[in-house]
Amino acid sequence: MEPPPRALDAKTRARAARLSLAAIAYAVLAVSLLSPVQPAVTKTRLERLGSALRGDPTYRPENMGFWFDADYLAFLDDLDRRLPKTPALTVAVLVPRNPDLYRFQANYRLAPRRVVEERWKDEADAVATYRTEAGRGPGGEPVAGGWLWTRPSR
Amino acid sequence: MTLVEALSRALVGLAGATGAGWLVSRPVTWGLTRRERFAWALASGLLVQAVALLALLAIGVRPSGWRLLLLEAIAGGLALAALRRRPEAAALERRADSSLLAWLLLGVAALAWLVFLGESVADGMWGTDFLAFWGYKGKIVFLTSGLPRRLFQDPALYFAHREYPLLVSLSLAALAAFVGRWNDQAIALLYPVCALATLLALSGFLERRVSRLAGAGAAALAALCAFLYKAGNAGTAEIPFALSAVLASSAAIDWLSRDRAANPWRLALASLFCAALKQEGTLFAVLLAAVLWLKTRGEGLAPRRRRLAVAALVLPALAHWILLYLLRGNQTRRDFDFTLFTPERWRELPALFALVAGRFLRIGWTEALVPILAIVVIFLVTRRGMAAPILPVFPTQIFFYAVAFTVSSFDPLYAIDGAFRRITMSLFPAFTLVLCSRETR
Repeated sequence: MEPPPRALDAKTRARAARLSLAAIAYAVLAVSLLSPVQPAVTKTRLERLGSALRGDPTYRPENMGFWFDADYLAFLDDLDRRLPKTPALTVAVLVPRNPDLYRFQANYRLAPRRVVEERWKDEADAVATYRTEAGRGPGGEPVAGGWLWTRPSR
Repeated sequence: MTLVEALSRALVGLAGATGAGWLVSRPVTWGLTRRERFAWALASGLLVQAVALLALLAIGVRPSGWRLLLLEAIAGGLALAALRRRPEAAALERRADSSLLAWLLLGVAALAWLVFLGESVADGMWGTDFLAFWGYKGKIVFLTSGLPRRLFQDPALYFAHREYPLLVSLSLAALAAFVGRWNDQAIALLYPVCALATLLALSGFLERRVSRLAGAGAAALAALCAFLYKAGNAGTAEIPFALSAVLASSAAIDWLSRDRAANPWRLALASLFCAALKQEGTLFAVLLAAVLWLKTRGEGLAPRRRRLAVAALVLPALAHWILLYLLRGNQTRRDFDFTLFTPERWRELPALFALVAGRFLRIGWTEALVPILAIVVIFLVTRRGMAAPILPVFPTQIFFYAVAFTVSSFDPLYAIDGAFRRITMSLFPAFTLVLCSRETR
């Protein structure tokens, strides 16, 4: 037997209400997922991409990785130029302990050289210091933001 | 070399991998939508490309784009020759609904993906995990044309997670070989391409199994997940892992609903991809196996079929672990203090677990209350859909994250604040399969 029209109406209305509620919940979920978006940062990044694609000579891609210390990039670049690019070379890089990105950036940017911390400096062919008193001594040469000591070949 | 040229070369690398992956995965993806097949092709292709790279390194030949393409072509050709017969066809079950809303949602997903694409390649990758290990290892492999033992044995690399799987690093190294230099801006293209494959897999699978609207909704929700698809995550393993979790979940749902020879193979392929990306990937595959086993108890399925599914999920992950063990030797898990599991220290566990659970709840309450409530409402006003059986995998995976943080070697709160959001959100795209396959009642 068919249910009476009024019961059908109530069912249809209840289903429509549930559908609407579900649609609102999906929409709220979608909007809440966007909460980490920072439109100004996104805009800046897209503009930087635009300048990179246009071949802007002032563009450098590494800026974001040095948010903790903008000068550190120049130090690592200088080391990169001065030290032979070989995995056989060990360089001790003495940098501030915090944030640990100082160490990670040194390892990453100076690869394939072996980069070590102060505790392994006896194994190093070169010692570089940046914004730290450690490793001070005669015979070093200044590099951007720090000093570099190289040992004669062992 | 201009950025456009470097990006084009990286794109050739990704296209080559996808082409080889298309041929290799063809026998097990027949009958899926083209979008799903693209996602499976990329996953298979990244595995093929990594094997090709390792083969070149093993024989002491410097990897280049041409050499990798040649090996990929050989792998694709062999797969084609081995399976000339038309593979078993699973009938496509397209749902012929084509609402304006579905197109609108696909437009939203496309727009969100384009923004992520632009953000990912706007700079060199700079995430902490990229610099410390994923990218670092890839750069060492590329620059030395080898897999130096130092990566696994040098005490000075104590922070570089020597125990982690290598697929991400090998993929980055392979793309660098195509670019011809280590250009961490161009090779970041891997991430938007993985994101695209994830969105295509979601929309293709749900369109095939539920409706176009469900597929478009899942793709839009996943694409809008700015916790996952953000520039800072380019360079980590989270975005490829999200793809692997979607593929594994969709294969599991297909296996549950029909008995086809290709299904266990897809489970196996997804399991290998999961395990090769992240340790959490192995956990995901094992949990999926447990859920499939438990959920099909007493349903009259042939025991052989159930055992085959479990084996398909567990054995590739196990084989990958053994291979990695042989490659790099035994590695301590620096992240964990397993002495907490010894009887003398059991008493410390409840307090530590309570601390971790409290932090999880606090993050949920202060940062994710609105999305959690929205998900609760969706569950209340809709009926379980065809993906419901795999739902327990997600809370169980998060429970194991809590266990892992409990036995962390570091301050658990520090570890949670550093990783919890990222690793949890990498499950979200796969979770949208459950969320968007639910039915209105």
